[in-house]
Amino acid sequence: MTGDATAPMPNASAATALGVDDVTGPRAAPVLRHVSLSVPRGGSHVVLGPMHSGKSTLLRLILGLDRAVSGRVTIDGSTFDAARATEDQLRHMRRRVGVVFDSSALVSRLTLLENVMLPLAEHMTVGADQARETAAGLLHDVGVAGDLERTPDRLTRLDRRRAALARALVLEPAVLIVDEPGNGLDPHAAAELDETMQALHERYRCGILICTQEVRYAFHWPSVVSVLANGRIVEQGSLDELLNSRHEAVRRFVDRRGAA
Amino acid sequence: MRQANVASDDDASAEERSPTFAPLGGRFISRGRLVLRSAYWLASLLAPQSPERPTPVTASVTRELDVLGFGAIRLVAVSALLVGLITIFQAAYQLAPYGAEVVSARALAWFVAREIGPIVVAILVVARSAAAIAGEFASMAANGEIDALRVMGLDPVKYLVVPKLAALLIALPTLTAIAIMLAVIGGWLGMSVVLGYNTALFFEYLHESLAARDVGVGLAKSVLFASIIGIVAADEGLRVERRVSAIGAAATRSVVYCLLGVLGADTAVNAFVYFIPGLT
Repeated sequence: MTGDATAPMPNASAATALGVDDVTGPRAAPVLRHVSLSVPRGGSHVVLGPMHSGKSTLLRLILGLDRAVSGRVTIDGSTFDAARATEDQLRHMRRRVGVVFDSSALVSRLTLLENVMLPLAEHMTVGADQARETAAGLLHDVGVAGDLERTPDRLTRLDRRRAALARALVLEPAVLIVDEPGNGLDPHAAAELDETMQALHERYRCGILICTQEVRYAFHWPSVVSVLANGRIVEQGSLDELLNSRHEAVRRFVDRRGAA
Repeated sequence: MRQANVASDDDASAEERSPTFAPLGGRFISRGRLVLRSAYWLASLLAPQSPERPTPVTASVTRELDVLGFGAIRLVAVSALLVGLITIFQAAYQLAPYGAEVVSARALAWFVAREIGPIVVAILVVARSAAAIAGEFASMAANGEIDALRVMGLDPVKYLVVPKLAALLIALPTLTAIAIMLAVIGGWLGMSVVLGYNTALFFEYLHESLAARDVGVGLAKSVLFASIIGIVAADEGLRVERRVSAIGAAATRSVVYCLLGVLGADTAVNAFVYFIPGLT
């Protein structure tokens, strides 16, 4: 399977948690060209790419934070035009997506518990006690211990990532998008976070899209792998296909796997 | 498999596109929208809420009140005391050639409640908090926190702007009332301790000249100033691009625009009050 501009549209059926179909953008200065990929329900997809290859831009286009020139995005069976999505469409779509940003992006003015409770408070008709209990339970599940009334600046980087993971999962999304999961973490902490992500992925059975520059995620997650270079997907397929690829950009990743 | 054939345009380049200084019209539109959204969320905050539903916004208002309000009390108190003294000395100096230094108490009453109290408090709050608010929001934008809220379907105005605005709307009138009282005390100290006038005479003149209406106008102005500071500082912080270098510029612009906004609004209110019979 390849991510060519002329490749068939990804399957936007009910079995697809996330589908990206021929997306070019952002509108102001296109960085990505004709990107297509899909994440099956309960499955995973790893997008590999060096710094500034457009991984974060892809994430922003999927989430509607930047307008695309063209292309469509399907989330949990609902498709919208990435170039002309309305705020209502985006709002509806975003409720089905959980995102862990590379900076964690916890709201610094709120406590840890409030950060995780926020989506519940906004979108669910649950009582304060139940919301607090759910948030505390999730924080416990992701491995955040201690005082939950701390603000994010008092947490370690690993705990911030874990809390961001808890916040992303609190509404039980159809798809979880994780941007640079190992960003700023030492190898031990990154491995710990990866184990937590795998355990929660097993439990929630949501699709997961991992955007990373670290090739080890392609080995840890039995999934489809896309390699992004210069704004295009230059290789897309199984791990075996990736290992046998002769594309220069792919070889740079694969040949580094020993170090990873 | 195929070769990449498109020139790279890195992620950061997208962040360089917007000019640092947007056209003035854009600012008015952006602030107008922010006013409407803030008013909507403030009204919903004031509406009766179920004790069962979690309300992180209410908790945030309390925290902001602590930072923006209580944190400014000492600065406002000392400044107001000094302003009272300065007003008395300046008035006494101007009135001395006419042998009317004692009338300085009237001058204090005329100016402090309507003008000096609210404007001094507003300028102090701008100096202390406007840059902090804009810097904080710009930093949150650079860190992706604003995007994270939007992705969760949460309005950043509700969770970030409204708590600060609500805190300022409570804090500024309270600080203004405190400033008026302390400026009067400062004036009294100047008149009685330094210039040697009778305390009873000072308060008699003050009582004759200071009307409840003057205090009302002063407090109304402080509500207007609080709105301007909250909206302008928040807008300057939220409108920046996702760049760390934009944080300082946003903070600087917020102070400049807040000061201009406060002084402009003060001028407009004074002109309005002057030309409307019954308010002077």
